[in-house]
Amino acid sequence: MKLVAFVSDYRMTVDTLDRLKPEKLGIILVQNGVYHATVKDKGNPSPLLDYSADYYVLKDDLETRGYTASDVVNSKVKVISFGDIVDLMFNDYDKSAWI
Amino acid sequence: MATTKLGFIVQRPGYKSENPKLALTHAIASQSVEIYLNEGDLVTADIAFIGEGVLNCKKDQKAMETYDLSSTESHIKMALLLDLNVLVCREDLERYGMTENDIVIDAEEFGADMTVKVVPYAEITKMMEEMNHLLFF
Repeated sequence: MKLVAFVSDYRMTVDTLDRLKPEKLGIILVQNGVYHATVKDKGNPSPLLDYSADYYVLKDDLETRGYTASDVVNSKVKVISFGDIVDLMFNDYDKSAWI
Repeated sequence: MATTKLGFIVQRPGYKSENPKLALTHAIASQSVEIYLNEGDLVTADIAFIGEGVLNCKKDQKAMETYDLSSTESHIKMALLLDLNVLVCREDLERYGMTENDIVIDAEEFGADMTVKVVPYAEITKMMEEMNHLLFF
């Protein structure tokens, strides 16, 4: 299964991502999930970025919160648009999940 | 003559829920209750951003441009315009790698005299002890 997961919270209280074992995993950071891409907690990048996955962050939600693409702390996170999300869902993944 | 002191404590990041912005709108609205008060009575409102709530204070928010939504930043500026005391926890700013340069500090463009104060958590605790009512968001 090729799964793309939308992460919309900064503080994760469940380990759903640990339990998913797709052959291909994409993680799209949206809403308050964008803080995983921009904020370091006590100098440490978010552990959410440790998965073997392709990472994306929604540009609109970054800018809403006062960030730009240059604020993304990890180069493996790609800044994308709403249109890019549609392309990813239709072309690269079989299923999507909102976490 | 009595003064009722309200303390609004924001501890969650903004936008995904309206919750943090409601703290600001409630604090701002508290300054329009004069008609319901006895002469000489006052309601004051202090606002403190702690924990993840400090992320609400990031400047250059483009909420209006992206979602046609008033930004939390603009609400903070409105609070300053009304001379509300706005505090941001210094330790929590540092925790998330932010400095005063990263956050909204003033609302000069609106003619506000008040500025956001970045203070140690101990000072926010002191403020909370002085309040009659504390509201957590």
